[in-house]
Amino acid sequence: MHFHIVKRDSCPFWKKLCLYLAAVAAALVLGGLLLLVMGVDPIAYYQRMFTMGMVGNKIAYKTFENYLKVFVPLVLTSVALSLAFKMRFWNIGGEGQFILGAVAAAAVALKLKDSLPQGVVLILMCLAGMAAAGVYGALAAVLKVKFGTNETLMTLMLNYVALYFLIFLGETQAEWNFFLDTSSARPVFFNFGKEVAFPRIMIGKFGLNVCVLLTLLIGVLVYCYLKYSKHGYEIAVVGDSAGTAHYAGMKVNAIVLRTVFLSACLIGLAAAFKVGTVGILSTSFTDDVGWTGVIVAWLAQLNTGIIFVVSALISMLQHGSTVAAATFAQVDSSFADMLQGAILFLVLAADFFIRFQVVRAQKGGSVNGNG
Amino acid sequence: MEMDKLGVVTTFIHNIVVYNIPLLYGTVGEIMVEKSGSLNLGVEGIMAVGAIFGYIVGCYANSLGIGILTAFLMGALCGLLFAALTVSLQANQNITGLTLTTFGLGVYFFVGNGVKAVSWPVMNDYENIKNGFADLTIPGLSQIPVLGRGLFDHNIMVYLGVVIALVMWWYLSRSAPGLRLRAVGENPGAADSVGVNVKRYKYIHICVGCGIMGIGGYYMGLNMSGSFNSSCWINGYGWIAVALVIFANWNPALAVLGTFVFGFFNTLRVSGSSLAAAFPEGLGWLAAVPTQLYQALPFLITAIVLVVSSIRQKGSGQPAALGLNYFREER
Amino acid sequence: MAAEYAIEMRGITKTFGSVVANKDVNLTLRKGEILALLGENGSGKTTLMNMLSGIYQPDSGEILVDGTPVSIRSPQEAKTLGIGMVHQHFKLVDVFTAADNIWMGREKPGFDLKRGRYDEIREMAQRFGFEIDPRKKAANMAVSEKQTLEIIKVLYYGAKVIILDEPTAVLTVQEIDKLFSVLRRMKEDGHSIIIITHKLNEVMDISDRVAILRKGEYITTVNTAETNEQALTEWMVGRKIDLNIDRPVVEKTRPLLEIRDLTIKNDEGAVAIDKVSFYIRGGEILGVAGIAGCGQKELCEAIAGLRPIQSGLMIHKGDNIVGLPPKTILEKGISMSFIPEDRLGMGLAPSMSITDNMILKNYGETKGPFVDRKAGRAAAQQVIEQLGVVTPSTETPVRRLSGGNVQKVLLGREIKAGPNVIVTAYPVRGLDINSSYAIYNILNQQKKDGVGILFVGEDLDVMLALCDKIMVLCHGKVMGVVHAHKTSKEELGLMMTGALDLTYKYEDKPAGIARDTNISAQELQELEQQESGSQEGED
Repeated sequence: MHFHIVKRDSCPFWKKLCLYLAAVAAALVLGGLLLLVMGVDPIAYYQRMFTMGMVGNKIAYKTFENYLKVFVPLVLTSVALSLAFKMRFWNIGGEGQFILGAVAAAAVALKLKDSLPQGVVLILMCLAGMAAAGVYGALAAVLKVKFGTNETLMTLMLNYVALYFLIFLGETQAEWNFFLDTSSARPVFFNFGKEVAFPRIMIGKFGLNVCVLLTLLIGVLVYCYLKYSKHGYEIAVVGDSAGTAHYAGMKVNAIVLRTVFLSACLIGLAAAFKVGTVGILSTSFTDDVGWTGVIVAWLAQLNTGIIFVVSALISMLQHGSTVAAATFAQVDSSFADMLQGAILFLVLAADFFIRFQVVRAQKGGSVNGNG
Repeated sequence: MEMDKLGVVTTFIHNIVVYNIPLLYGTVGEIMVEKSGSLNLGVEGIMAVGAIFGYIVGCYANSLGIGILTAFLMGALCGLLFAALTVSLQANQNITGLTLTTFGLGVYFFVGNGVKAVSWPVMNDYENIKNGFADLTIPGLSQIPVLGRGLFDHNIMVYLGVVIALVMWWYLSRSAPGLRLRAVGENPGAADSVGVNVKRYKYIHICVGCGIMGIGGYYMGLNMSGSFNSSCWINGYGWIAVALVIFANWNPALAVLGTFVFGFFNTLRVSGSSLAAAFPEGLGWLAAVPTQLYQALPFLITAIVLVVSSIRQKGSGQPAALGLNYFREER
Repeated sequence: MAAEYAIEMRGITKTFGSVVANKDVNLTLRKGEILALLGENGSGKTTLMNMLSGIYQPDSGEILVDGTPVSIRSPQEAKTLGIGMVHQHFKLVDVFTAADNIWMGREKPGFDLKRGRYDEIREMAQRFGFEIDPRKKAANMAVSEKQTLEIIKVLYYGAKVIILDEPTAVLTVQEIDKLFSVLRRMKEDGHSIIIITHKLNEVMDISDRVAILRKGEYITTVNTAETNEQALTEWMVGRKIDLNIDRPVVEKTRPLLEIRDLTIKNDEGAVAIDKVSFYIRGGEILGVAGIAGCGQKELCEAIAGLRPIQSGLMIHKGDNIVGLPPKTILEKGISMSFIPEDRLGMGLAPSMSITDNMILKNYGETKGPFVDRKAGRAAAQQVIEQLGVVTPSTETPVRRLSGGNVQKVLLGREIKAGPNVIVTAYPVRGLDINSSYAIYNILNQQKKDGVGILFVGEDLDVMLALCDKIMVLCHGKVMGVVHAHKTSKEELGLMMTGALDLTYKYEDKPAGIARDTNISAQELQELEQQESGSQEGED
């Protein structure tokens, strides 16, 4: 008796859901065992993590605000990346594009905060962030369409070029460097949070940042763009078969450039949102959204709606673990990274059972097999 | 005075080697993995895992050899995970690799902080590690003026790295299993049809390649004297290794050269100011170059190499099936 | 006692998802015989053989080699059992030399690669009666060389049972003769051979027995000497069918599309089409015959505006279309459909629905930023009804349809646009006979409506029956344009290899230039200038 694997035609939705849930559950059990070994009650820990300590907490609204600060950049970046991925353009340069967007937005904020009204500054920040990130993303796209340069490796390299540029700005004290706080002897970024910040809509004590609403709006717009617009149709055709798109008279190169630019623009917007929310740059400003976004977009199978769900869950994991770390001092915050990794590994494994089927040979020479 | 200047140059060359050999380990390991047709973006994480376990176990056992072995095994274990997901379970290689980086860095800090909370082993307390990692002067060769002390007065892991690279070069281009491995990376269907066990070849070479990366991570830990803080020992070297694979055109012998080229810029970051001081007329400007530029240069150079090689398009050592999973029953 | 059969397959069933590729199939191969495995495209021949070569595993059933039940779980196990297969798509590593392509599968190759392997491989090939250059890279080999290399490979691994999957599809008539003599010699040496094919004349020519599959099911096995083509066809197709393809006579119009001295380069920069001239009238089908990769693809792409040309004229109804964007050429009524080897690569977006594929060429015509799927759905419905496309709905991804239906969708969309010139390459590639006839009927209907058709084909029998005229290409050069009812397969075969050049058969004018041309004197003059200019450029 032996087994072999074959491809499935399709897999019912409930089965997919069950498999994914089982994968997540298995990862949590593994993490739980590790917690037990460390002498931590896993149930208490997970409870704290998944509620993000909001239950029975007087300042729960504050926690939720902070949660949204993690959620917004991640979901917007993932949605943005999904645009390029739909076209099979593997833009893993989200980090670099995010950084350049943030630097541009911060530059606008620092230069114009004293001369223009805050609303105008915020809008200009968004535009500057989009333009900078967009151009940086389009660079890889231009090279791809002109010379066929591998975009995965190219964007990967550009991430680090951008990162060191940011570190350069953060560590170089000089006359021209208006990014730094001149009142400090050590090089630290200037904090403009008091002067430039996105407005919040107060619901009781809870302040809903307009960025959250804008992000939801962009999510809906991107969904419609992909599903109903001519551009969306072109993206789908190019992603499915570039040869066919060319044959149908589409300007494939222009579509690739346009879409990658748009994708990177949205990442720049996510960066501008974050700049306008936290009010200060840092060398770890991206919080790895560029990397995590790739994983989220892929896990959600590029479906805009599911990207929101997956982003919400991953943000919960990330923010929740920081919260839990305050209570459970012996659990390092890196536990979240490991848990996230374990969940992803198991989801990847579960995906196999969605795409493939393990079949047992019914009858044959297997009994007297030669091997 | 003149001797001093030469001394600066020698130190510079010495530093190029010392600080950058981990890149060679990472690159050679990744070449082996990629030659089997797998694009593994988890180098950074794998090196971190190899580093932390290698360092701690090596110290506790007070043996450099056991440290190296542990780093290799833990790296290979990461490779096994990668292979199980991408080879057996057909998972997307990019996603698996990125996840492996997140996971590996998570493990690194989790284990490191965990051990630190109890008691952190300090490298210099362990005689065998300290002495094992001390410089070994090669008689004769090290007497060559300027270059001698720069190139032939190093710890044993430097020599090991170069030996691994050269052996790997021979293995890939001149051995029968190497031929089969290349066949797997170029056209797994063809290799399979003539009876090459594609899965086994992929598993073995992914694991060994990742193990080599693990040793490179361990080296980095030792080179930092094992001082554990909030920034990871690997510090982006894993990503440079991914870049270096392209720069070296998937050739382990060229990787040695590439390591020196990349290392040259990397080392200017540390030695730039002393070079500028030693040669104020010629190299004085070095002091004015921001260190971050040196750090970004490996990535910039690789970006340029990528563009140039895509324009030329000929003679690329990139395996044709790189990044594609193989499923025999694909129709 | 030695078993009678080298291979025996009993009750083999293999499914892919919901598709049953083989159902309860029995097959026997005697020692030292050549067995033809006959069946239409999609009848499961390759799947069945892939279970012998270890690529697939049967869901159920039994395989016996030399009378012993075995399970063949991998190509490695097939190799040990002495079974070798030459796949239709060669399994060669392009960057390896001939010798290394063989060496990589050697049982005990030693650890280091010795230079002596080149000589060893050459000597071994000579022992089997082949002459090869062991240092030549597979990438630089012609198709027939690659096939020879594949055959040497299986012989070298000591195969006693050799399976060849559609070996003649890529060869010329003359190369086929050579291959068949090789097969006969191998048979005399005691090898047992299975040859997969769907060409009846080859079956009659080479085989001792014929096994027939139809729609995945085993029909029968007969001795070749005791049967004939008509009987085989009936078994293969399942009912008596008329083997004749219609060639309606239609009154021809003035040339719709005229090509003069066209030169095109391929992706590698080599000349793919070399000073080709031809014309298509309304109401005729012009066939294009040639060995695979003789510039057919480049020609189709150039006409559709997808590939820049080096020099020459392309005149459509008197208008020059050189340099026009693909969209404009489409609007002029020139439709191009090309079915590549994977059958889905060009012209269709496989993961998208029939509706979405219907609007591929005209989605941009509606106003506003949104796509009009309503019109697409209606068009899809219409094509489904008119051409009898079998599909669950208009929203089914094209990939899920069977080959015949995919190609109907493609042609249906092209015809719906109401073209006056149809360029179609390999429209029946991979289709069974019934689906193929449906496609021929569609083309003939268009011809009757006065459309000019350029038909790039593979099967010479079909082209002889369907086309009015046939243009033969050899390495990008025209070898002549002949009337289909006045020529023969042998003549075409000679032209395809370049052995026969009929360009100047009619002395008053070279082939491919219409008497009643629409090309103006001025345009011809420009063409001359263009050419003298390009020659100067080369100097």
